[in-house]
Amino acid sequence: MATNFWTSSHYKQLLDQEDVDMVNPLDKEKGITLEDFKLIKIHMANYISKLAQNVKVRQRVVATAVTYMRRVYTRKSLTEYDPRLVAPTCLYLASKAEESTVQARLLVFYIKKLYSDDKYRFEIKDILEMEMKILEALNYYLVVFHPYRSLSQLLQDAGLNDINMTQVTWGLVNDTYKMDLILVHPPHLIALACIYIASVQREKDTTVWFEELRVDMNVVKNISMEILDFYEGNRMITEDRISAALNKLGFRS
Amino acid sequence: MSDVDPSKKVADRYLRREVLGEGTYGVVYKAIDTKTGQTVAIKKIRLGKQKEGVNFTALREIKLLKELKDPNIIELTDAFPHKGNLHLVFEFMETDLEAVIRDRNIFLSPADIKSYLQMTLKGLAICHKKWVLHRDMKPNNLLIGPNGQLKLADFGLARIFGSPERRFTHQVFARWYRAPELLFGTKQYGSGVDVWAAACIFAELLLRRPFLQGSSDIDQLGKIFAAFGTPTTSQWPDIVYLPDYVEYQYVPAPPLRSLFPMASDDALDLLSKMFTYDPKVRISVQQALEHRYFSSVPLPTDPEKLPRPAPKKEPKVPDFNPHEGPTVLSPPRKSRRVMPGRDGFEGIALQGDKDDNNVGDNTGKNDPASTSIDFSIFGLQPPNRPTINSADRSHLKRKLDLEFQQPE
Repeated sequence: MATNFWTSSHYKQLLDQEDVDMVNPLDKEKGITLEDFKLIKIHMANYISKLAQNVKVRQRVVATAVTYMRRVYTRKSLTEYDPRLVAPTCLYLASKAEESTVQARLLVFYIKKLYSDDKYRFEIKDILEMEMKILEALNYYLVVFHPYRSLSQLLQDAGLNDINMTQVTWGLVNDTYKMDLILVHPPHLIALACIYIASVQREKDTTVWFEELRVDMNVVKNISMEILDFYEGNRMITEDRISAALNKLGFRS
Repeated sequence: MSDVDPSKKVADRYLRREVLGEGTYGVVYKAIDTKTGQTVAIKKIRLGKQKEGVNFTALREIKLLKELKDPNIIELTDAFPHKGNLHLVFEFMETDLEAVIRDRNIFLSPADIKSYLQMTLKGLAICHKKWVLHRDMKPNNLLIGPNGQLKLADFGLARIFGSPERRFTHQVFARWYRAPELLFGTKQYGSGVDVWAAACIFAELLLRRPFLQGSSDIDQLGKIFAAFGTPTTSQWPDIVYLPDYVEYQYVPAPPLRSLFPMASDDALDLLSKMFTYDPKVRISVQQALEHRYFSSVPLPTDPEKLPRPAPKKEPKVPDFNPHEGPTVLSPPRKSRRVMPGRDGFEGIALQGDKDDNNVGDNTGKNDPASTSIDFSIFGLQPPNRPTINSADRSHLKRKLDLEFQQPE
């Protein structure tokens, strides 16, 4: 599908980093900083992954759900759209959009199992109401392109499609969803950045292959740097910092 | 859009008019868009009783139509929630191709047929270019707008394809438009299935009646083989590997000319390429559009000048439910029995004759017993649709087919 990315709604909706990094005024009032905003989104991406493991859906569904969640927060505030409800609802909507429907009651069940905290307590009807609001916030655009497909094609093309490289790069791509890269860059460039990082780390010489590709290597390198920065900063993320950020929002308890 | 209170939108923007029909997943009504003055069709999507939120089929349609903007594809102009229900706004379409084909007062010239087919294929080409399979091509899903433009509608069965290992259900399309590979149970298919259906529509435009009217899946294959001969492994090497493949008694193909006496040589050549058995060899939509049929005289009629049914008729709307088939005009079984044999009347059929047989023939098209067996189950409980997997479906399907065959 990569050939059609350029005519897709996904391509038309790509944003500048500054637009993604805008903290909604309502959230700012509550003292949410850009750091908090990013932390909450990382936490929600993890939450979606955990839920997805329980209900057993494909990685693609997780990726789409996280993308929906991130898109929602470029337009809506954390204050009005409780991330603890938005996250599972995005998974619910993504499972439908990606043709592997998960029942809402199953999600409700696993939410309770994963989080005993009352703040995470939601009923089916909450999810269904939020589904409608998310659809609107997404302006009904549901097709999302991901780096996975280009990843396997590119690895093959580079002659790097051994199990080891496939695993490393696949894992890297999964981790990119803890960032907003999918909102900013075309998926194949994200895939290339992951290959670049992996080939550097595994000391594979891909210089010639990259040079022959007709892509802007500066962009690929920038994405790679951003991914590496994320890994750097990721070590500093603690439960405490996440709860502190979430507490600023002061939702119903 | 997000700043406006969405719940006021119906009142604020759309003036509600009469109900146009009941679709698979809700009511469709006519409305005036006060912002543009245009007439629109609004589909109100019922929330399933199963507590499964926005209807799965509706969601598919939204997802794909948001990506497909083209003059030959129905336009989803807006969507909004209102009183807990999702509403989809479509451009208003006056009629559909089925009504055109069925209207005996309409004479379709070779140029008119060419124009309708070309618009159908253009719409399909956009779908396939975007890796979308329509999977439900049939004349009443081809809507016709006020300027004569034909547009593909009802993407409730459509899917994104392109990953080769992904398996799909073969229970798609109304039976008469189903490609042989689907009838043999394949789960890995491609754009060829839409081409086959488009060929059936092409044939239907030429004959003014559905071309291959099977009464069960088995019978459908029989009808196909009677028209084109039993496929041989040299024609279609992979046929023996298809899940439901069974050997059929060999029937030779009658000359295509004998089935379509009025068609031009170019039309027949294109038709035979679209009706190719092996999906790998079957012409693509893009190749079909480049076929000399479309560049040779007579050139396709300008859409504005195409004949259309008199406007008095009940207007058609997007997804005027194709699967419920409640609009039976005459006893279905009876109408099928009076159906004439294939030979003998196509020559005159093109001239729009008033033969009684043809009347029975036309109403037969709405016959739920022959088109909707597999879907009638879902018609009763639409929310169930996504939860029935394809294995269940084909099991049910086979059972139904068997039951329907015995009394005959």
